Amino acid sequence: MNVAQQLVNGIIIGHAYALVAVGWTLLLGAARLVNFGHGQIYMVSAFIAWWVMSTTGLPYALAVPLAILASAALGAIMQRLFLRLTLSQDLVNLMIATLGFGQILEGAAGLAFGPKPETFTSPLQAIIFTLGPVWFTAQDTLTVGATILVFLGLYLVLDRTRFGAAVRMVAEDPPLVALYGIQISHVYISIFAFEGAAVAFAAVLIAPRTPILTSMGFEQVVMTFVVVVLGGIGSVGGSYIAGLLLGLFTTFFSALVSPAYTTASIFALLIAFMVLRPGKLAASGNFAR
Amino acid sequence: MSARLQVRNLRVAYDRNLAVSIEHLTVEPGTLAAVIGANGAGKSTLINAIANWSRAAPRLSGEILIDDRAVAGKPADLLARRGVVLVPEGRGVFMGLTVEENLRAGLSAVNAGGKTYSLADIYTLFPRLRERGTTPGGSLSGGERQMLAIGRALRMAPRLLLLDEPSIGLAPRLVSLLLETIRALVDGGLTVFLVEQNVHAAMAVADSLYLLERGRVVASGSVAAMRDDPRIIEAYLGARDG
Repeated sequence: MNVAQQLVNGIIIGHAYALVAVGWTLLLGAARLVNFGHGQIYMVSAFIAWWVMSTTGLPYALAVPLAILASAALGAIMQRLFLRLTLSQDLVNLMIATLGFGQILEGAAGLAFGPKPETFTSPLQAIIFTLGPVWFTAQDTLTVGATILVFLGLYLVLDRTRFGAAVRMVAEDPPLVALYGIQISHVYISIFAFEGAAVAFAAVLIAPRTPILTSMGFEQVVMTFVVVVLGGIGSVGGSYIAGLLLGLFTTFFSALVSPAYTTASIFALLIAFMVLRPGKLAASGNFAR
Repeated sequence: MSARLQVRNLRVAYDRNLAVSIEHLTVEPGTLAAVIGANGAGKSTLINAIANWSRAAPRLSGEILIDDRAVAGKPADLLARRGVVLVPEGRGVFMGLTVEENLRAGLSAVNAGGKTYSLADIYTLFPRLRERGTTPGGSLSGGERQMLAIGRALRMAPRLLLLDEPSIGLAPRLVSLLLETIRALVDGGLTVFLVEQNVHAAMAVADSLYLLERGRVVASGSVAAMRDDPRIIEAYLGARDG
């Protein structure tokens, strides 16, 4: 086994996990909300980018912002649809409603794009860097760099800006927010739009690695769930570290044991964590720190 | 001059239980009106209803006029931006935000209608807050937290400041200091509607009083006129016993 190469692969995949999960981290940490249609937004974003590139011939660099915009809008629409569940913090019904919304997206994508795998590629995948025994692509570098920037940017926005303060206020005490003159539904819509945009950004960076299928959403939401729970539910820094460690874990587990049992092993890890450290599952008001 | 606040036939109910029923209540601009009464008399329910805010979900009916404009049913965040600013009982500031973040977080419209207090004004009013600028709200003492709650409300240029039991849990010396500060603000032109269980403290600073019992106004008038009212003496003694 080429340990150095596995380490690099693990770091890349780990950043990919973290980037896919960053929207959920904010959603759960700030708004105490869940979106089980998260994976399907990932899938739809990848297909939008693919569709734009294959039908219009636009370059990858233009398909990326289009997919992000479309998914931010999709997130905002979801928030609008489920506003009452959001405002009443009705988590169980929201879970079911977002899960259903995801299934509708998946069905619609199946009708629109068909059942066969498609490929959409980034020109950066063809640029390969070799450093001694390891190699990686420019796309990998972009993924890692973009993830670090997104996490750092999110941390700074939450910690330093008035909008970030509003998000932390919503996380701490939703009713009190109104007395500060802030309309809470606007904050929720921004959070959902960020969740959509962030998962779309992740999709357009990561999906080119493998053929895309309209059924690929479920796996993404599962991995995101694991990252967010291991990261301490809604902790920005925690999700980044959890994503990274999970990437390293899956890479080495696949290499040393068997790729077939990787998903099962992740769930074993999750269950062990939930049983051993249940106190850590409670989200804290200081999630930005 | 027209009244700053008029309440007419206000009824507030939780489920089917009528908690507050007020025929008529007025607050003149630039005055301090206090609502007194025993625990459970409906004081908080009344002041929350004026701001159309509650942690529960009461049903409201009746008329609430701010500067002769009907505001009943308007969302609490809109009322806050328009200068009807409530400092609720208990948790009135964000624990996870620093003192300065709390003071900067509020949104108010240009037509909020009250005097605009800058950050420096608040720090002059409550020098203790300046020293605690970077401290999270959760690490403040009870008195500091109450100063912050009032300070952040003043930042929103209130035309009507609604204060729900600002003295609760504070040492007696701090209570009079806080109420004297509020009195000084009223003398400077602020209009305040105050809910206060401490009848003695309320009478020391208020211009007019409303005595609430089981959700109804049973006595009202200027402090001077109310001082000898047997019902007030009774309520005052009751409060001291409780």
